[in-house]
Amino acid sequence: MWRKPNEVKPSSQPAGSPGSVPNQTKTVSPAAVTTESQPPASQTPVVPAPVPYAPVQHNVPAPPPVIPAPVTKMAVARESTASSRIGSGLKIRGELSGSGNADLLVDGELQGKIALGDSRVTIGQSGRVQADIEARDILIEGSVQGNLKARESVHLGSTSRVQGSILTPRIGIDDGARLRGKVEMIRASDAGASPAEPATDSDLLRPVHARSTEA
Amino acid sequence: MNWMAKTRPNAAAATARLNPGPSTLQGSTSNVRISNGLKEFLWLISDVPHGRVLDLGPVWQSTVAFFVEKGYRISTEDLLRTWKDFQTDEEERQRAAISVEGEKVTQAMLAEKFLEKALQYPSEHFHGVLAWDLLDYFDPQVVPFLLERLFTSLYPGGVVLTLFHSRAAERYHRYRIVDSQTIELVPSPTIAVHAHVFQNRELMDLFGKFRSSKTFVGRDQVRESLFLK
Repeated sequence: MWRKPNEVKPSSQPAGSPGSVPNQTKTVSPAAVTTESQPPASQTPVVPAPVPYAPVQHNVPAPPPVIPAPVTKMAVARESTASSRIGSGLKIRGELSGSGNADLLVDGELQGKIALGDSRVTIGQSGRVQADIEARDILIEGSVQGNLKARESVHLGSTSRVQGSILTPRIGIDDGARLRGKVEMIRASDAGASPAEPATDSDLLRPVHARSTEA
Repeated sequence: MNWMAKTRPNAAAATARLNPGPSTLQGSTSNVRISNGLKEFLWLISDVPHGRVLDLGPVWQSTVAFFVEKGYRISTEDLLRTWKDFQTDEEERQRAAISVEGEKVTQAMLAEKFLEKALQYPSEHFHGVLAWDLLDYFDPQVVPFLLERLFTSLYPGGVVLTLFHSRAAERYHRYRIVDSQTIELVPSPTIAVHAHVFQNRELMDLFGKFRSSKTFVGRDQVRESLFLK
């Protein structure tokens, strides 16, 4: 607003630098696109900044057009949390453990133990798990035989079949869920302190769906 | 927990007098039932600060939330569905086995085998058991085995809440707690037919090991009985 309309804004980045590589997915206004009849802009040291795409004409055959992959929710999720999935045809025996927030989705069969303290573990509808599960959030839609211990929450979906005890600060149960076992509410701060174990009288019970605010 | 020694607060007694018996709420869109049995059940287990309760029906968010908010630990075991699943498996197994062995399997034998996997709890573990109307749906030969196991699992002074129909139930319901004196009857797909109408004398015999009992009879003739160990 303080610049005259014809004044060219100086750019700190010369044309032809990596910032002007073709096929980069940036928003380009039609007026700013350089046409073939114009001379190459790379000769001038100062060019208007809003021209990120400036095709340089060389005597080499043009590379095949590269179509940028659309940015989907799945791709974003994969980048941010590095989700892992055990597909419906897979059977795994052993212990799954890890740190970080690598979420896990189980659609196959798993026997052993899952210990992913900072992650979300989801057992899909076709998932069949015989294992104790320890995670930040646990979401069950399939079948689980084992104890569940969550640092934040457990959710039993309408198709879930759980046999074992549940230890969590918060729990959600959809109508139709089947649970054979014990539900115990603990403080969020206590949830990560020790592995799932039988209840003792000294355990402090917490309300359902009430996030603990105590230290 | 001593039933006779417990003194009921005046307010609670007054409320009990105002509600002479359990009944289905008139004009209510949802299928709820005022339950004096539940109120008495809660009063009886109220002495135990972090008591353990066993719900033998399906798991419901509202029931779990209700007990957890009061500081209880709740276990659930959908006993009737487990029994039906067990029966189905056994029938399939027997169909194959009978042709070889010709063995006759009685309900009592089935019950014993069933209890090898079901109702597996430590002795004197629970302070209260919600059995709802499940016993009406079991074969009368199986019921004594279930009650024996429940009796063992109950803490001395523990209480069982059961509902008994006075005629064959027209529709299969599951029960969930709405508040301290209200039960919601949730119509459900029939997984078992009503098997038996227990007479009061039969109930006295079945629960003979229990110390005492109290029954509320509703206008719909459903009996809400509490049996104290």
